[in-house]
Amino acid sequence: MNNRSSGRFTAQFDANNQEFSLSGVLRPHSVAELADDLALLRNGIETVNGVCYVNLKRVIHMNNTAFRALTRVLLDATRSRPDLKLTVVASSVVAWASRLFRHLSDLSPNIIVEIYDSAFYPGQTFVENQSFIPILRTQTKMTWRHEREILPRHGLREGLHIADICCGIGDFAMLLRKDFKPARIVALDHSIPSLEYARKVAEDFNVHDIEYTYGDASQMLFESDQFDFVTCRHSLQIFDRPDVLLRELYRICKPGGRVYITNEKNSHCLGEPRAESIQWTYNEVAKLFAHFDMDVEMGPKGRRMLLDAGFKDVRMESFMVTNLDGDPQDFADIITAWQNVYADEMAVRRGDSAAFIERFKQGFADHIFAALHPRGYAGWPIWASSGQKPL
Amino acid sequence: MRVQVDAAFEPLLELEMEMATLVADWSNCDQCAAYVARMVSHDRHDPIRHANLLSAALNELFEMSFHTRESTGTLTFRVYRNGSIERIELAFPCSAEQRNLYETIVQRIRSGHALANYLDVITDDTARAEQAILLGLAVNYDANIELSIRDKGATTFVVDLALERLLN
Repeated sequence: MNNRSSGRFTAQFDANNQEFSLSGVLRPHSVAELADDLALLRNGIETVNGVCYVNLKRVIHMNNTAFRALTRVLLDATRSRPDLKLTVVASSVVAWASRLFRHLSDLSPNIIVEIYDSAFYPGQTFVENQSFIPILRTQTKMTWRHEREILPRHGLREGLHIADICCGIGDFAMLLRKDFKPARIVALDHSIPSLEYARKVAEDFNVHDIEYTYGDASQMLFESDQFDFVTCRHSLQIFDRPDVLLRELYRICKPGGRVYITNEKNSHCLGEPRAESIQWTYNEVAKLFAHFDMDVEMGPKGRRMLLDAGFKDVRMESFMVTNLDGDPQDFADIITAWQNVYADEMAVRRGDSAAFIERFKQGFADHIFAALHPRGYAGWPIWASSGQKPL
Repeated sequence: MRVQVDAAFEPLLELEMEMATLVADWSNCDQCAAYVARMVSHDRHDPIRHANLLSAALNELFEMSFHTRESTGTLTFRVYRNGSIERIELAFPCSAEQRNLYETIVQRIRSGHALANYLDVITDDTARAEQAILLGLAVNYDANIELSIRDKGATTFVVDLALERLLN
């Protein structure tokens, strides 16, 4: 892998994947400023066979000078290597990019432009399933009982600049706004239906000061060092590359600010009575998610992950959402929603047998039974961790 | 000199800078574009993405002013809004020759061949940056561009941008 970094942007060529990537802000005064980066592309093109990928998904800005220079190199390549296909990939998040880069395919049939607008992570289709939306509100309502008390211990106070990354339907951002009165709050997600729902709720409540934005959490449009407090709840566990996401959370956090994450350990979901059946099913939930490259056992790993990412003063605690947190039916509704997606969709997609799915569902049914039992207890454990970005 | 602005357009922001200051440092273009875009976009549907898109367009305009290399006089930059449209009014000193170049490009855009001209320009090493910038604004941002007023060597661009509908 060849890497070049020029302050505000990075260029690299990955010979194994035949991919040239640019990221960051490319606003040079003259083409000469890009000479080494363009040479990296030219030299890379000479070494590849079949298809050369030009990954521009993470370019936040590119001025006309840079675009024309890149265009020239790509067109030269189509002439000197007519055997080669050049696939240019741009992000749907960056609106100017699709409109600018589309011209490349007008200039040569050997240049294909693809707009990357889905599959930010492997389990996206399951996790962003719209049938989840009503239950997400219930989940947040139940976790908020705990997190409202926990968050101040992780440095949250009034008047901060907050970013809620992977905000889903935006309900956590609404609660933060109400109880912690931030100076600014931005909420980002990659699900357009979830964001539309969030905006509708905000409008219904006459809330106009939450900035909802569509984006890719692994490459956000925010400038670096912007926020005092960055939250990312239940999301690192569903990304296949949580280290990349954590790096972005670190980047947008101000020095001295804190990043707060929550994750689960699904195999530790529990209930009484019928503990054995419940435990079996949730062990299988963890394996099912692992099959789709998601780690719902991540919770206790939060401390290590934050330290590895460069945070200091890492704080960690866990809490158990239970059927005793308000109405037990709320807890039961959450489990029903999990069963619908995990058993009826994910297990089916994995190709599990009818017998497995029946036993798998029984554990959810028993968890619901425990939650609604007058003497029962049902729990869902969550780990909350935070770290400070060094000054 | 202020252009006679349609009363429907509400003034949002005004920025004035000595040309000598602007042309002293290329990064001023990037910084002014990012700052103005963030200020103007804060109450748009998706403020972050709107700011990114607006910054891309504004940066091109600031860079175009920079390319004049004029070190006397003042650059005046105003933003107005009417519904979904942001109107940019950019005035800066430039030579008669430079102004003629702008006029030719704007006429070319009006002729209805902006895309074909743009594709020619981005593949032509000898084409002027101003051509790529103005044609690019029309083609990539659906900008409506007018050269509005001339006064003592100054040129004023009025650029209407309806960016929200470009955000998918």
